[in-house]
Amino acid sequence: MNNNNEILERLTTEVYEYGFVTDIEMDIAPNGLNEETVRFISAKKNEPGWLLEWRLKGLRQFQQGEMPNWQNFEMPAIDFQGISYYAAPSKKAKYNSLDEVDPELLATFEKLGIPLNEQKALSGVAVDVVFDSVSVATTFREKLQELGIIFCSFSDAVKEHPDLVKKYLGSVVPYTDNVFASLNAAVVSDGSFAYIPKGVRCPMELSTYFRINAKNTGQFERTLIIADEGSYVSYLEGCTAPMRDENQLHAAVVELIALDNAEIKYSTVQNWYPGDKDGKGGIFNFVTKRGICKGVNSKISWTQVETGSAITWKYPSVILRGDNSTGEFYSVALTKNKQIADTGTKMFHIGKNTRSRIISKGISAGQGNNSYRGLVQVGIGAENARNFTQCDSLLIGDECGAHTFPYIESKNSSAIVEHEATTSKIGEDQIFYLNQRGIATEKAVALIVNGYAKEVLNQLPMEFAVEAQKLLAISLEGSVG
Amino acid sequence: MVKQITNTLFDQFIADFELRSLISASAETTELHTLRETAFEQFKQIGFPNTKVEDWKYINLTPFLKEDFITEPGDELSMTRDEVIAKAKIKNLDAYSIVLVNGQYLSALSDTIPGEEISLSSLSAATNQPSFKAHFGKYIPLDKNHFAALNTALFRDGLFISIKDKAVVDKPIHIIHIVSSDNNLFLQPRHLFVMGAGAALQIVESFISGDSSAMGGAKIFVNNVSEIVLGERAKLQHYYIQTGNENTSYIHHTEIVQEAYSLYNNYKSSFPGTGLLRNNLNVSLNGEHIESHLYGLYLAGGRQLIDNHTIVDHLKPNCQSNELYKGVMKDEAVAIFNGKIFVRKGAQKTNAFQKNNNLMLSKKAVVDSKPQLEIFADDVKCSHGSTIGQFNEDALFYLKARGIGEEKAKALLIHAFAYDVTEKIPIPAVKAYINELIEEGLK
Repeated sequence: MNNNNEILERLTTEVYEYGFVTDIEMDIAPNGLNEETVRFISAKKNEPGWLLEWRLKGLRQFQQGEMPNWQNFEMPAIDFQGISYYAAPSKKAKYNSLDEVDPELLATFEKLGIPLNEQKALSGVAVDVVFDSVSVATTFREKLQELGIIFCSFSDAVKEHPDLVKKYLGSVVPYTDNVFASLNAAVVSDGSFAYIPKGVRCPMELSTYFRINAKNTGQFERTLIIADEGSYVSYLEGCTAPMRDENQLHAAVVELIALDNAEIKYSTVQNWYPGDKDGKGGIFNFVTKRGICKGVNSKISWTQVETGSAITWKYPSVILRGDNSTGEFYSVALTKNKQIADTGTKMFHIGKNTRSRIISKGISAGQGNNSYRGLVQVGIGAENARNFTQCDSLLIGDECGAHTFPYIESKNSSAIVEHEATTSKIGEDQIFYLNQRGIATEKAVALIVNGYAKEVLNQLPMEFAVEAQKLLAISLEGSVG
Repeated sequence: MVKQITNTLFDQFIADFELRSLISASAETTELHTLRETAFEQFKQIGFPNTKVEDWKYINLTPFLKEDFITEPGDELSMTRDEVIAKAKIKNLDAYSIVLVNGQYLSALSDTIPGEEISLSSLSAATNQPSFKAHFGKYIPLDKNHFAALNTALFRDGLFISIKDKAVVDKPIHIIHIVSSDNNLFLQPRHLFVMGAGAALQIVESFISGDSSAMGGAKIFVNNVSEIVLGERAKLQHYYIQTGNENTSYIHHTEIVQEAYSLYNNYKSSFPGTGLLRNNLNVSLNGEHIESHLYGLYLAGGRQLIDNHTIVDHLKPNCQSNELYKGVMKDEAVAIFNGKIFVRKGAQKTNAFQKNNNLMLSKKAVVDSKPQLEIFADDVKCSHGSTIGQFNEDALFYLKARGIGEEKAKALLIHAFAYDVTEKIPIPAVKAYINELIEEGLK
């Protein structure tokens, strides 16, 4: 197959289409991290004392913490004093309506294809937009309010619903969890907050769109979603960043809480700037995501499509505490050029009859390295726990790597735990079969990859599935192994 | 250094080494002496592993190392030797018996293997042999293997087997390792088997310990290291039958290096008894068209801890490896399986498979399974699977409905579960013996 190299060449030089920079007036905190920075952020946001206290605890923890060394990649040296921890569009602290938003900003989101304008918005998606550190707009707030659903920026939630925030903040991911969680606690800038009251089925998709714009900043947002008894919510998250030569750090924390009979579906399409083809620049995506199925019969489902970032390093997890609760994890991770992904999930079975399902599809191309790392832990009281794990890797080109590191720990004899993994390239016989039927090699590969990822893509809400499929297609169409 | 367990034993080894170093300097070749020195420096740096070390995550060694040990075995054997040997004999197995007591090869108790093609002796008597010089201590990375480093620095003796090119040994060699002591003993045997190009051999190794009541409750810690080299087209069928009493702890490191077109089959079976059993089985496929098969069966009972770590390292293209480990868990036993497959860059057309199944018979048994793949080549077929489960209720019901009692039905199902491994054993006498041990272990 002669055109292999050609196609690989094209694949590895694919241009990142969201790499533009928005020229907008910004309020940026000076570089460096110390108690002053934390107080500065807190003051800037008019926060109550308890939150500042919590931030400072996080900071102290961070200063004591050591960088982990177990990951399957060379840990880049991050100069934490060289980053600015706060950047926000400076125009106005709070927008009352979209008319007040900087037109430059609106244009940016127009370019990204994010419908901020409610009239034009796709009906059925409420969007919260986080630009650098600050939430700039949340659509459909009123409509949701009628149902009692709270969907706003994290800062607004602190002001308007302090009891809820105080009760749940850090209850799933405490500031002591890991160094990046501590850092996030110290300098959390903004994020999204959603509360679905008892018995309410959220009528539209809730969505947050993250955009890093400013140079030399990190983004540290916090998402907190609480689904009260018998409620349901589907939440989407998308992200992009400009092309820059230096690496930027994104250390977010997401906490999900599902009470009795509640269900949360969380989907991510991650397309941060992955760096250029020599591995220069790109986002370090070090995120802590965890949900707890607190109540009986509750369910949390993570779906992620990871195509961006220089390094993706995250393990969206579920603590299955309530009896009969269910955790799911669906992932497609694509690495090309010199991208690295070390991702997977953790499922903690604590309650009785808990079930979990893990489907992970890794695609490595170019010199990319893709690792699945997962933990399935069955506690001593988790009677009849059930887990099924499947993680497959697809290799395209002979310079990439695919790795699987599952950890399976069972302390209960009634548990049934299954794990299986395969690694292979696209079968020549499969391509031959399609060729024979008049489908060109390029198309055949696209078809096979699409089929390979289908199980995961199917889990995404419709609008996102389209975006995700497009994303995969951009990178993979025609990549003959 | 945070990573090490420091205890009196650690200090004792430092003192031991200084003493031994003096003897070694005069009695052993300079190469060996230097190797011991480097290995010991390494061990001094890394010490005994604690649970922060990824490969030792699930084992806390502290309780196993807290005793006062002597490191020089005495001569006594608590049981009369004939009795012990009789116990280790495999019925109907026509083989050359080789006996090692506390790591020391005893020619008086062993059969002599006729012919010029095979040379078998104690390791200490072989240090001037060319195959010893060519291979000894060359393959184990000491910076990652705490116990192998300690062994290399301080091993006393062991068994050396070297087979000439194209030699075929007519009968299996049955190596009986006996450990027994009246005092707490820390043993460090070391073995080297070198096979010439085209040679073929079957080795059955039995590990037994003396009667625990006769030993008066003395604890024995064995840190065993074996190195095995297969030349081109060599074939080795290798059996491990691991039994022992609850006062013995075994760290068992086996490093295998294979050259092109060679075949290595390992059949490992472990049974209730030994308190701690840690197997490191590492195979390097260093040539093209190599085949390796690793079959393991562990039946864990009591408060036993069985830990199987394997590494299959595909360095060259066109090789095949296959690994199947099956575990039956009783009582409060803990089993760990950690299988790693590496496919190095350029090792195209590799087929590598790995599977670990666990059958839980008891509520309190614990299994930690970590099957891992690390792949740096694209034209490969690799897969792994791992399951933890119980008896199939339907199968049990089916048998009971046909008038088979619960106990018997369960035994039948366990045998069927183990069959995937036992059926692979080519020597009928060994197969029958292992089935017997399963029967006994289930009681």
